[in-house]
Amino acid sequence: MTILLKLTNVAVYAGDSCLLEPISLSLVQGRPLTILGQTGSGKSLLAQAVMGLLPEELALQGEIEVLGESMTCDERRALWGTKLVMLPQEPWNALDPLMKGVDQVQEVYRYVHGKHQREAMALAQADLQYVGLAHSGAKRPSQLSGGMAQRLAIAAATAGGASLILADEPTKGLDASRRLDIVRLLQTRSAMGGLLTITHDVAIARQLGGDILVIKAGRLVEQGDAQTVLSHPEGEYTQALLGAEPRVWKEASFSVPLPESPEVVLNVEKLSIERGGKSLFNDLSFQVKQGEVVGIVGESGCGKSSLGDALLGLLPVASGRISRLIPAAQPYQWLKLYQDPPSAVTSSVTLGKLLEDLVGLHGIDRGRIAPMMDKLSLPEVILERSCHGVSGGELQRFAILRALLLNPVFLFADEPTSRLDPITAKEVTTLLFSLARETKCAVLLVSHDADLVRKTCDQVIAL
Amino acid sequence: MKQLIFRRLLQLVCVVWGVGTLTFVLMRALPGDMAYRIAASRYGQDNVDSQAAALVRNELQLDLPPWLAYWHWLMDLLQFKLGHSLVSGEPVIDSVQHMLGHSLLLAVAGLCLSALIAVPLGLFSAWRGNPLDSVLMGLSSMVRAMPVFVLGVLLLLVFALHWNWFPVAGFGTAMHLVLPALTLAISFAAISNRVVRDSAKQVFGSSFYTFSQVKGLSKWRTFQRHGIRNIALPVVAFLGIQLVSMIEGIVMIESLFSWPGIGHGLAHAIFARDIPVIQGAALAMGALFVLLNTLVDIVCHWIDPRGGMPV
Amino acid sequence: MTFSMKSSQKCGLIILLGLLAFAVLGSWLSPYTISQQDLNAILEPPNAQHWLGTDHFGRSMFTRMAYAVGLSFALGLVCVMTSALLGTFLGVWAAWSGKQVDGVLGVFVNILLALPGLVIVLLLAAIAPGSFLMLYLAISLVQWVEYFRVVRAVTQAVVQSPARQSSQMMGFGRWYQFKRHIWPAIAPSVFTLAAFGGANAILTMASLGFIYVGIQPPLAELGLMTVELFPYYSEAPWLLVQPLVVIALIVFGFHLLAGKRI
Repeated sequence: MTILLKLTNVAVYAGDSCLLEPISLSLVQGRPLTILGQTGSGKSLLAQAVMGLLPEELALQGEIEVLGESMTCDERRALWGTKLVMLPQEPWNALDPLMKGVDQVQEVYRYVHGKHQREAMALAQADLQYVGLAHSGAKRPSQLSGGMAQRLAIAAATAGGASLILADEPTKGLDASRRLDIVRLLQTRSAMGGLLTITHDVAIARQLGGDILVIKAGRLVEQGDAQTVLSHPEGEYTQALLGAEPRVWKEASFSVPLPESPEVVLNVEKLSIERGGKSLFNDLSFQVKQGEVVGIVGESGCGKSSLGDALLGLLPVASGRISRLIPAAQPYQWLKLYQDPPSAVTSSVTLGKLLEDLVGLHGIDRGRIAPMMDKLSLPEVILERSCHGVSGGELQRFAILRALLLNPVFLFADEPTSRLDPITAKEVTTLLFSLARETKCAVLLVSHDADLVRKTCDQVIAL
Repeated sequence: MKQLIFRRLLQLVCVVWGVGTLTFVLMRALPGDMAYRIAASRYGQDNVDSQAAALVRNELQLDLPPWLAYWHWLMDLLQFKLGHSLVSGEPVIDSVQHMLGHSLLLAVAGLCLSALIAVPLGLFSAWRGNPLDSVLMGLSSMVRAMPVFVLGVLLLLVFALHWNWFPVAGFGTAMHLVLPALTLAISFAAISNRVVRDSAKQVFGSSFYTFSQVKGLSKWRTFQRHGIRNIALPVVAFLGIQLVSMIEGIVMIESLFSWPGIGHGLAHAIFARDIPVIQGAALAMGALFVLLNTLVDIVCHWIDPRGGMPV
Repeated sequence: MTFSMKSSQKCGLIILLGLLAFAVLGSWLSPYTISQQDLNAILEPPNAQHWLGTDHFGRSMFTRMAYAVGLSFALGLVCVMTSALLGTFLGVWAAWSGKQVDGVLGVFVNILLALPGLVIVLLLAAIAPGSFLMLYLAISLVQWVEYFRVVRAVTQAVVQSPARQSSQMMGFGRWYQFKRHIWPAIAPSVFTLAAFGGANAILTMASLGFIYVGIQPPLAELGLMTVELFPYYSEAPWLLVQPLVVIALIVFGFHLLAGKRI
């Protein structure tokens, strides 16, 4: 067993403040190492430090040994491609937008290994075939899906023959169904060497196995064999992180039961929707009752969000009938919660002013605001800030607050927590559903997370 | 590509229609007898008498309501009947051809020269941690604030009148070309060196640029394979947007240096109320604009065949 | 919506206000008129009577410069107001009112964009030589298109944005959506365009004056003065310098005020 990479007390500083506290680890041949932590926990700095890619204003301390030798930053840079390589976070950005896919692999054989053009091309074609892109070599990155782009990036990165592969969030922005493919590909590509993966996704850490390090806010909180740590976490933080995975949620996490003899809010008959002349789905019929949580699941691009938008009248329908069955409900009581909270709230004024606007428009009783904010654990101070000054989780809860003040009868939640970290996502989801149930508001939840839908929804529609 | 050419053809139609309409209005707005003027434009100023005017009036049915006259006017234009100059009596089409050639020479020389100035300066500025960056940017802001004719006057004063290095004005030798082309080049380079710099900075900082080095390619190879094209794309697209200011610069520079191009001709014709030449020169200027636009489109398409057209 | 200015923007504003003060005070205080000739005192250097000297007809340069700067600012101001209002209004309208309005306005814009702006202004200026009104109309006609294009593009994005959509769903009206969503998004661009537009309008007038097809003598106009004084560059260089420096200062002031590039 050779040690491919060894870090001794590596730390990263920005001026005086410490972004990554001293950490030591070693990566041995054939045993993958995974670093698990949430966005902003400093885990990407570690990969950049190893590569020698830290931004200039950051300072690195500690010792980095690659292939048994302690090396300076420039010495490590000299190993790029042939010994040491890093997979990019977002493959779409990491591939040259103007160059054909196959050329981006071919150039490695040509200029790194000095092969002739024809031979390089043949090797590149073989690589593409191996990653399942045999017929996509002539395409440019923008013509590839996220998963295909990542496979192309893997092929390009490993063409140099590096034995030590660093993968920084290799599945960011990919569909859930594509993630495990990428992980499998990474595993086979690194079978002979070492693989250091950085991820926030517990499922990926589990799949990779080997050793694991859990990082929170720049500090190592737990370390050990992946199987052991993930099944019997000791640290409080690791437990919370694992508990936030929808697959381990308790069913019926909300205490309030469905209202008795609920009225039907919405009746959908034989609905069909088209987009760009292509049919998304046909003859869909279902009913939504008061206080009910209805989940919609399906592959990305199958029209989940379009269905919700059509129910709200934001998109035209090809055929079928949508009837709103609560005559007393005003149009503004049919609302939507958006996927990306910052894009759904204007930054031109403070959140307090936005709330004021709403109160003024609909004559809402101001007395309801404080208790509602309490329930949503929203601190008073956020009302003095604009949407840039609050976190994503707070902003989504603010959006829920605004919606609930209007006493909605129907709320379409379009992946409301996919941009939030798992612990916050769990909080927001639980809050949303219990408050909706309390106020007899029906919720239509679109999610790519089948576990989440299965655990929380009263009715599931699969497209 | 088809769509691109179609769009440019449409632009050409707009140019012809716009110029035709404006000169028609101009024709009607001027004091005096229109038949006389048209006769003069056809047969030359010296050969016009009331008989010729009457002939023209009859033939063109100038007593007709304005919109019919307008129709005839446009029809003539479509058949390239541009008439004769009211001043010199020469056929407009001949003089416009000459002028267009001269303007093209100036435009091409200016563009090449400005690329020679702007590209190295821009790349140099984009180099990481370059202390001269802010100096260069400040300098280009100063030059940008100078209208092209102010710049031209300064160059003229210094290089032609004070030092006598180059001829003051006119056309003939290669030396005559230097100052006009340099004026155009400097004013254009002051805008574009920033674009080159910003584009290069963005590419150098992009993750695909880093990834190429991580794959094992050397710095120079990376620049060659992934730098040049990606940097060039926004620069060329910007060039398309700035063509308007270049054409405007050509008008001013030609007038200043008495360069016998379209802009000079247009300004003179307007001053002399020589309507046929105004029309011919404006048409040629529009055509030059369309031509340069098309060239930029083609280059953009060649760099980036994905169909990303400049707006 | 509050405007906080960078120091360079303040600097630009100070330059422009200084020039404006010069124009207003100069025309007000000067005992001379712009066409009052004194052939006994031509091409004089700056002195106690004529602070900026006299030109080739013995006219007071101080008075003429003040008048020319005032004229430039007046034109810049009316052109910016007209084209900004028109362009912004039509841009929002085109982006927000569906395909038909957008299509019709698009045809207009394409016709205007087919020719370089200066050529359109030249042709229109030829119809009514030396007319300030025609210059104003022609320049505004050319300039509103810029506002239109930018405002339309930004507004289209805002109209599609979840933020505006959600305000609409919550029952807010069109004015509210404009005030809270569209205006904050377009205001910075409109401001930048206005600053550049002011510079361009003044520049266009000076360019026309410079090739003798704009404002006619004996009025004082910066471009016109440049050509008029050019023949005397060796005898009286201080005269030629004045319009050149002032034009560059005005344009520089506006560029600084804009704060960023388009």
